[in-house]
Amino acid sequence: MNLAFKDVKYNFLRFLLTTAGVGFLIMASTGMVGLYRGIVGDALLVVDKIGADLWVVQGGRAGPFSESSAVSANMDRRVEGIAGVSVVRRFVQISQQFSFEGRDLRASITGLDFPKDRGEWVELQRGRYLTAGHFEAIADESIGLSLEDRVRLGQDDYLIVGLTRGMVDASGDGLMFVTVNDAMAIAKRRTSEEVLLARNAAGRTGAADASESSVPQDSKIAAVLVSLDKGANEDRVRADVLAWGDANILSRADQRDLLLNQRLWRLRLQILAFTGVLLVVMAIVISLIIYMLTMEKLHQIAMLKLIGARNSVIVAMIAQQSFLIGAGALVLGLAMSKLVFPFFPRRVVIDPWDFAGLALAVGAVCAFASLLGIWRALKVRAQEVLS
Amino acid sequence: MTAEPILSVRDATRHYRSGDSIVKALDGVSLDINAGELVAILGPSGSGKSTLLLIAGLLEPPTEGEVRIRGALVSKAGEELDRLRDFRRRNIGFVFQKANLIPFLTASENVALAMEIDDVPARDARRHAERLLAGLGLGHRIGNRPSRLSGGEQQRVAIARALANDPTLILADEPTAALDGVRGRQVIELFRQIADTRGAGIVVVTHDPRSLDLFDRTIELTDGRVVGERAGPDRLQVL
Repeated sequence: MNLAFKDVKYNFLRFLLTTAGVGFLIMASTGMVGLYRGIVGDALLVVDKIGADLWVVQGGRAGPFSESSAVSANMDRRVEGIAGVSVVRRFVQISQQFSFEGRDLRASITGLDFPKDRGEWVELQRGRYLTAGHFEAIADESIGLSLEDRVRLGQDDYLIVGLTRGMVDASGDGLMFVTVNDAMAIAKRRTSEEVLLARNAAGRTGAADASESSVPQDSKIAAVLVSLDKGANEDRVRADVLAWGDANILSRADQRDLLLNQRLWRLRLQILAFTGVLLVVMAIVISLIIYMLTMEKLHQIAMLKLIGARNSVIVAMIAQQSFLIGAGALVLGLAMSKLVFPFFPRRVVIDPWDFAGLALAVGAVCAFASLLGIWRALKVRAQEVLS
Repeated sequence: MTAEPILSVRDATRHYRSGDSIVKALDGVSLDINAGELVAILGPSGSGKSTLLLIAGLLEPPTEGEVRIRGALVSKAGEELDRLRDFRRRNIGFVFQKANLIPFLTASENVALAMEIDDVPARDARRHAERLLAGLGLGHRIGNRPSRLSGGEQQRVAIARALANDPTLILADEPTAALDGVRGRQVIELFRQIADTRGAGIVVVTHDPRSLDLFDRTIELTDGRVVGERAGPDRLQVL
């Protein structure tokens, strides 16, 4: 006769509520760890997927993700001439806010160096890659656009030809891919006042295009992405670029390190610290629940001892109940996480290994809580049944 | 040749320290309970009745004296009694004022549990429990949890549990205190029947004078001492 199961069956509503309470705590912990994984994944998404071995960025800078970077417009052709370089692509990324059908939307405009790069490294959910050099865009679903939508960016209308899912930048803004030339045109858009001020500063008057020659423009190319030939000497390429003096060169690992350990360091630490606090709260709550459940049963435990139950019967009852609560809460926590987190605005990644770690932690907490209850139960004397 | 008593308590004393003074809950009590004998322990509150039951039931050791069950010395001063849990399970059944049934088990499960703890296979334990309950007039209640049973029915389930391992000694502490007169008498009649049919020695601590005619002997305690003993329903021997 399994006393733990019998008790759970008898007090099923209490068990369900207790399990649900612990399950919500597990869901919160899963969410915090998942948010951390999501932020890291989002931040590294472009670096990992774009397929560049090296990033040539502005000299003295560690851009374009950790700090701003602007390289000269002809930097790609200079880099292309270095021995060992296979392919170069220009990279532009700018945050843009725009209106569409009365809604204010945000996107991280990312330039694809068309026609070398049509966006094949992007995982499309629907639609197609870019086929024209201008006015086509691939947008992430999170931006709030649909296929065939026409959206005005800068001075031009762009047709949404493809949709992605879960492609966002480190801030959580959905990525919108256009050609590099279009991205630069969007970036160069200036307000009327900016144009006027620039003209006055240059001592010039007269009508001119708001995005072109009337005002001096900085390059909007943030970096040049380099793919190396097989067997190329990376150090040699690195040395050649650094010798120019106006450029810095970073590897993919450097970019990852900068993103994780510089730009996102405090955020990561904060999330991890909060996860730690949640785990401690969860441990205390589970321990308290199991202890209180044991305290409730002290009279019955005394009775069991009186009728001669061995300690193993009592230990099994408490431990099994504790692990039933833990297991039930884990299942409930995982189910609720799967159900709820997809509706959260930021990506929450439920990594199986993270969840396995959480399950181990819950197991350890249940074991500790059981020990506490068992310790109390074993102190009960059979004659207490008379009290 | 005289048969060995089921329970033999010799010169049992039990002292408790209360602040600077020592309270003598039991003061040199001796008694023998024979097989098939139903004995009542009477006395006012604080006379040592429950303490005597704890010592006889191997739940507390005496400060002095000894307890023998079927001739075997099982408890004496300073004895660690937790190790006697198996012995207690096989030889002694307990019934209390409150039935103390496990609330999440049915009547038959409450009874069967006592046997399963003693390593009786679950199916056999359940069958035996159902037979016991049917024998006590609870055949129609085997699947009910304690909350669905009346006080008298709960007490009969507790008696069935006490009988589950076929003990030679049954100790009952105020088993009728929570019952009305009719149901209280029914419980004592049940003990009478068990003593007669099973040959168990039964000791009942009680305040209730209404069913004393059913007992073989009555022992009266006051201030931790035996002050009177009445053999049979009509005779009282003042010591």
